[in-house]
Amino acid sequence: MRTIRRALPVAALVLTVVAAPAVANPLGPDEAHSPNAEDIRVAYWVMLLVAAVLAVVVLGALATALARFGERRGAQPPRETAERGQIARVAGALGVLAALVFVFGVVITESARKLEPSGPEGLSAAANRYAQVGVSGVPEPAPGSQEPPENAPLEINVIGQEWLWRFEYPGGEREDIAELFTYNELVVPVDTAVVLNIDSTDVNHRWFVPALGGQVDAIPGTISRTWFKADEVGRYPGQSTLFSGSGYPTMRAWVRVVTPAEYEAFIEQLGEDLSEAQAAVAEEANREAAGGTE
Amino acid sequence: MTPPTLAEPRPELVTRGQSKPRYRWMEAASSADHKAVAKLYLGTSLTFLAVCAVLFALTRLQLIVPDNTMIQPEIFNRLLSALEVSVVFFFAIPLLLGLIGYIVPLQIGARGVALPTLNQLSYWLYAAGAFVFYASFLWAVPETSLAPSPGLADVAYSPTHGVDAWIAGTGLAVLGFICFAINLLVTVRTQRAPGMVWRRTPIFTWAATAIGWLLLVAGPAMLGALTMLMVDRRFDGYFFDGLEGGDPLLYSQLVAFFFAACHAAVIVGAAGVLSEILPTFARKPLFSHRAAAASIVALAVLGLLAWMQSLYTAPIALGAVYATMIVALALLVPVGVLLYVWIRTLWNGSIAYRAPLTLAAWGLALLVLGLAGELMTAVVPVGWQLEHTAAAQSDTILVLLGGAVLIGFAALHYWLPKVTGRAVGEGLGKLAAWLIALGALVFWVCMSLAGLEGQPVDVWRYFEGQGLNAYNLIATLAALVIGLGVLVELGNLAYSYGNGRRVGPDPWGGSTLEWFALSPPPPHNFDAVPDVRSAEPMRDIREAVRARQEAFVAPRPLPRSPEPALTGDGGADGYDGSLA
Repeated sequence: MRTIRRALPVAALVLTVVAAPAVANPLGPDEAHSPNAEDIRVAYWVMLLVAAVLAVVVLGALATALARFGERRGAQPPRETAERGQIARVAGALGVLAALVFVFGVVITESARKLEPSGPEGLSAAANRYAQVGVSGVPEPAPGSQEPPENAPLEINVIGQEWLWRFEYPGGEREDIAELFTYNELVVPVDTAVVLNIDSTDVNHRWFVPALGGQVDAIPGTISRTWFKADEVGRYPGQSTLFSGSGYPTMRAWVRVVTPAEYEAFIEQLGEDLSEAQAAVAEEANREAAGGTE
Repeated sequence: MTPPTLAEPRPELVTRGQSKPRYRWMEAASSADHKAVAKLYLGTSLTFLAVCAVLFALTRLQLIVPDNTMIQPEIFNRLLSALEVSVVFFFAIPLLLGLIGYIVPLQIGARGVALPTLNQLSYWLYAAGAFVFYASFLWAVPETSLAPSPGLADVAYSPTHGVDAWIAGTGLAVLGFICFAINLLVTVRTQRAPGMVWRRTPIFTWAATAIGWLLLVAGPAMLGALTMLMVDRRFDGYFFDGLEGGDPLLYSQLVAFFFAACHAAVIVGAAGVLSEILPTFARKPLFSHRAAAASIVALAVLGLLAWMQSLYTAPIALGAVYATMIVALALLVPVGVLLYVWIRTLWNGSIAYRAPLTLAAWGLALLVLGLAGELMTAVVPVGWQLEHTAAAQSDTILVLLGGAVLIGFAALHYWLPKVTGRAVGEGLGKLAAWLIALGALVFWVCMSLAGLEGQPVDVWRYFEGQGLNAYNLIATLAALVIGLGVLVELGNLAYSYGNGRRVGPDPWGGSTLEWFALSPPPPHNFDAVPDVRSAEPMRDIREAVRARQEAFVAPRPLPRSPEPALTGDGGADGYDGSLA
């Protein structure tokens, strides 16, 4: 009976923590909108449970010891010390726990890294190249082939610079412009595997959109990769989390998730806008050049 | 009866042209005695703690409401840099070095340190580092937080001399730490009392040795990083320039390696202090001396090897990531064993609720919560989510507030009577413990929740509508309470230093040799160094004195001689059997 009574608070805690992800809860990260972000949530809740149980056990024992064994005048407390093997048993149990957490950690990390192919609602896109820590399982093109592999994800270059984010989209069919790009807002199709190649042109930054996965460093000269597959149309906020000078808190980013049709229309429009802007700039430059000669 | 005859009175020896006694401050500043050097360390580091409390309050006040314009971003970044650099380089590590420098030679029964001049040099290098860093406020202050990231450290993005001041200031301080570590390790190696083999060496000395090794191994890595950075900045180098073929990750690794050592040193130092304080106040021996010593060594080794825990988000090899994760999780074993040993030490004890115990217990509680948080981020995906958010940072702050501030104060309450011969005020000490601990808990909860909402570290502003307003408001109020608690305790220590109640050489009934020396100890520490026969030499001495007193039979008084009044002043060591 006493054991049960003692176990009750722990059971209540376990229930709270296990039930917590079901409801929107300030104790955890905001809702995930990508499979890798889901894995991160699972890892978070499991580790919160482990850490909370350990902390409650230790702090409970500490508080009990402090409350129960107050000073007794004249009493000589027993000079007890560890018996042979007693510490080894505690260390062994902790070692087993650490090993279990490690196995869990590897499994959940691998799951979060594994690129999922685009779903039926998504856009089928073209891509290539290697993977790093943030992504695994990106389909490689067949050797010697120029054709993109099947189920290739949409690859977008994310470039951090003081203090904004630049996004470069694939789709270079147009000849009049070199690159399709936007600043600060990334537009992607829903239910589509998107691989981000993250880079920086000046100092180190860090890409972080909590709903769509974890943090990834943007380092000049090195490409870091991560991926996501947004499950719902919407606009997800993000922010650099690496100190980069006075404008650092304003280095925010938004990911706008749209339907594939809207995405294609957006890319079309973006191409035209950029082409127009480029033409206008060229015209301006020509006029200035002509004015300069006069 | 005639009084015993004394020796013939003879004229005092007087020399011509005797030098005037030097001023006391000059003596304190120039003495090579390890106690004088340690007092300088303690005084300087506690001064910087007061500075940190003020800077912490200022930076938090800027974040009290969203879109605050109280402090300009550049000014905020300067304050933030000064705060973060001061906490690590000018407060936490030097406070540990001050405690170690004073106590460890006494604890091992040494009459001094092995390399006293190197010890002195270490303090002055550290002081010069702090001076150079703060002198930068006169022209260009670094605006780069704790350590500038590789690109930001480049002269193109930080064109002022702020980063140069950071390099010089932290470099000098680290060089000082290395000098200190060399002297410490040689002293512990060569100056222990006869009979003090490693298994009888006090746990605080074990912790000090581990800290010495940490600084000796990681300090040069930091110096290397700083030197290469200086070459990059001022001599057209490109060690760390990614766009020129350099390796920015190398810099991140070296700096992370050093900060991992600092982090481990704070925890190891706290473990050493707790392993002295808890047995003394529970009036029981440490539950397992051997396990505590082994765990402290393991904590230092694993803590240092887990340096890449802050680089999970960087493009490093997957094998390195998993190796780091297993090392970081393996820390569970030594930390858990230490906690088990401490709680079993308190269990069945007769616990005296004095200020050092209150401070130590609260410090331990904060340390446990902070380390539980860091256990979570050791798992890679959780690290991806939390690493550079306010959540992970608040875990580190909790470890520092518990391990460096509260347990540091506990150590000062415990050992300042040895330094000054005076007790530190109990009431204000307990008040400060509660203020700091409750403030820290509220701060930790609020900033953890803000971090889960995605608030990044080191920002000077956040925005309306991010859902962060309430968290930051409450955290700022909590930070003010923490700052108040720190200042109260610093005032308490400063007042008690000169005005505390006088106490004997062994006010707590401790079991290690520092309590055998007088308070304050004479320059040579001990008139006679005892043979050490166990891990609790002072207890052995007390037992021997008690046994002798019990065996002593007072001689029958001679008839008609006036009997001198016996003073109730205890035995040879002045110990009267109480904890007063």
